Amino acid sequence: MDFALIVLGCLICAVFAIRTQRLLISALWLAGASALTALLLYLLGAPEIAVIELSVGAGLVTVLFVFAINIAGEEIPIKQSIMPKPLAWLLIAAAVLLLGIMVLGPQLSRVLTGSEPGFAAILWNDRLLDVALQVVLIFAGVLGVLGLLSDVKKISKDGNNEH
Amino acid sequence: MSINAVDLVVILVLGLLGVGFYGLLITRNLIKVVVALQILVKGAMVALVLAGNLSHQTNLGQSLAVTVIVADTIVAVIGLSLAVQVRRHFGTLDIKSLTTLRR
Amino acid sequence: MAGVLVLLTIGLPWTGALIVAGYNGNNERLQHGLAVVFSVLAGAAGLGLLTQASSSVTISLPAGGVFGDFSFVADGLGVLLAAIAAVIGSLAVIFSVDYMKGEAQLGRFYAFVLFFIGAMAGLVLTSNLLLMFVFWEITALCSYALISFHNDDPKAVAGGVKALIITQVGGIGLLGGALLLFSYQKSYDISTFLANPSVLPGNILALMAFGCLAAAAAKSAQFPFQTWLPDAMEAPTPISALIHAATMVNAGVYLLARFYPAFKDVPGWSQTVLLVGMITAILAAVMALVATDLKRVLAYSTVSQLGYMVYAVGAGGIFAAQFHLLSHAVFKALLFLGAGAVIHSVGTRDMRQMGGLGKQMPLVRTVFVIGALALAGLPILNGFWSKELVLEAGLVFGNTNGMVWAFGVMVFVAGLTTLYTLRCVWMVFYGEPRGHLHGHDAGTAMKVALVPLAFGTLTTWLLAGPLSQLLAGVPAFEKIGLDVQSTWFFLGEVLGAPATLITLGVIGLGILTWYMRSNLKAASRALGGVSWAAGNSFGFEAINRAVVWVTQSAAEELRETQTGLLNWNVAGILAALVIVLVVLVVGG
Repeated sequence: MDFALIVLGCLICAVFAIRTQRLLISALWLAGASALTALLLYLLGAPEIAVIELSVGAGLVTVLFVFAINIAGEEIPIKQSIMPKPLAWLLIAAAVLLLGIMVLGPQLSRVLTGSEPGFAAILWNDRLLDVALQVVLIFAGVLGVLGLLSDVKKISKDGNNEH
Repeated sequence: MSINAVDLVVILVLGLLGVGFYGLLITRNLIKVVVALQILVKGAMVALVLAGNLSHQTNLGQSLAVTVIVADTIVAVIGLSLAVQVRRHFGTLDIKSLTTLRR
Repeated sequence: MAGVLVLLTIGLPWTGALIVAGYNGNNERLQHGLAVVFSVLAGAAGLGLLTQASSSVTISLPAGGVFGDFSFVADGLGVLLAAIAAVIGSLAVIFSVDYMKGEAQLGRFYAFVLFFIGAMAGLVLTSNLLLMFVFWEITALCSYALISFHNDDPKAVAGGVKALIITQVGGIGLLGGALLLFSYQKSYDISTFLANPSVLPGNILALMAFGCLAAAAAKSAQFPFQTWLPDAMEAPTPISALIHAATMVNAGVYLLARFYPAFKDVPGWSQTVLLVGMITAILAAVMALVATDLKRVLAYSTVSQLGYMVYAVGAGGIFAAQFHLLSHAVFKALLFLGAGAVIHSVGTRDMRQMGGLGKQMPLVRTVFVIGALALAGLPILNGFWSKELVLEAGLVFGNTNGMVWAFGVMVFVAGLTTLYTLRCVWMVFYGEPRGHLHGHDAGTAMKVALVPLAFGTLTTWLLAGPLSQLLAGVPAFEKIGLDVQSTWFFLGEVLGAPATLITLGVIGLGILTWYMRSNLKAASRALGGVSWAAGNSFGFEAINRAVVWVTQSAAEELRETQTGLLNWNVAGILAALVIVLVVLVVGG
């Protein structure tokens, strides 16, 4: 029962995040979806990921969004979408249905047995390359943001687009 | 027909993927694009953890999901800073007026 | 050893291409020098390969399960064409030192020429059909880039685009054949296919056979694809000599010869090949007779001689076809380079403005006449021996298959060849000057390139014996009865064959017709309609223009799909995902 509620709540948050016109509200709905996802992950037996998702997804990303929206400023949203909505519905329905047929068809059973090495052990031993790449990614991200945002002063001087 | 927990989670994954893609198809605002991407990746991450859960390898699934979260967050960071810069240069976040691919 | 030589023959020109392309300075002599050095080294490697021919796999580079191994087999047929490509390539590069003196963007020119030489060597040496297709496409790309080298000249650009589109349409046939082979044999290896062609069921084999024929016809400018070659004459003349006379257009003949043992039993294939060669030969000969542009005459004659080679392959005379390929490569390159010397010195390609240039350019006149006599098929020169072997093979096939009339047509074309060759030589080098052109004899580099080719024209027929040794070493050809014979055997065969006498008679008729041309004015007026049609290339030009127009307008229409809008791009991704899912769900 609790699963059903969480799933439903998460989906509703996601739908509203897309539907709303105001960017700040959208970011808040996204935070709600993240929180519920974190709860779900905990119930699935993955507590470490749940914590990371909660702090990063519901915390860090939301703060980022609020920052960006404040700097960029809200603007009057345009309602008319470029693509006709029925086409979008059709594509989405087709993809989701086909995926559902493939995945929900066979009986998936949930069995928790056996023991395996702890999370930290796997992360730092087996997936060490992943961790290294994540560090590289973080560096790249920081450098990218610095490069992008440092442009500000030069732009306001000569008004030319350099990036 | 009894829906067990696993099926519910699969429905969640499908739903998140669908909503995320729908957002990418419909929205015209750059920041909404980043929101839609976040939802999409959230669905993928839940699928990863579920797969780890079902194959008795929860910790492996979690390790992979950590990588996904980090990568996705970096994408959001860079996407948002790009959006900020676009707003400054072009004055608008509407993707239709940003396209410069002309005949 | 052979493996190293194979890698050198392909790798040296490619390394040279990279170096010349990357050179950013202004020292023109350095660029010329680098290109000459690399191409001469490649020529040496190609010649070295000739001594190392063996039919076992020389080098094999694993490339993963999907593509099979990138294997190279330096067997007789392959090393013959690789040596021709490398040696004539080096001579053309040496010629370019004088011809392209002072031209801009030499780096681009030499890079593409060297890239082409390596790709051509790779094409004939590989035994992986997919890799052969890749090299095929690379040669088409280099051909396009070099035809349109003067990219500020709209005619050159149009000629290059047209050549590209038409050869690509044919290339689809080759790709289709490769994929069909893979789906039945589970590998792309040509040698295993030739050892056992029945791995493909009958109708699939026929599909592959005709697909390869289409690809070969497009590449070698055969009927109905023959119109791209004359327009490719906008390229600088060394390029015309190398690519459009001696090497790339031979790729089609190579393909047909390589796969002949597998396809010869496909019903109707041999006859179709023979007919394609014959129709091309006569069409091109007639068009050469009325052309006024010096390079166009040579282009049409190339098409016509390629028609002879294709005719020979269709008749089963693989040795004759390859022997004629060798002779033709040498004398046609000689003719083109000689024409290049003429064009470079007088500045025009129009033969109606030339005349009497022999006095001003004695060396060029001499070598050009040698090449022209070889083309016409006069005895002693290499063209005579190889053309006679081709005709003889055709006669034997015709007698056993009821197509003797095709042999008759080819003999008539031999007479036409003599006629238009004499016309060309006369209009350029003899008679009274029609225009006010001042020519000077060829420069040093040009001479260095021309003289060996003239020497070759006089002597390559002596290599008939070693050539048959090379070709008989190919296992597939052994199966169809190609034996090792000595040179004297072939000479004796030619001199004793009835075909020879008939042809010599027709050639004599041709010479007579030329000398009595003023008396035959009435006859030539009666044939005026034919000459007008020939001037318009019998309507094929219009068809090919239509093909090019359709391709280009379709490309313009498809540009609409590149909107640059995120929503449409994501829709594209989703649509592809849906298609993949459908395939997975339905396919189970």
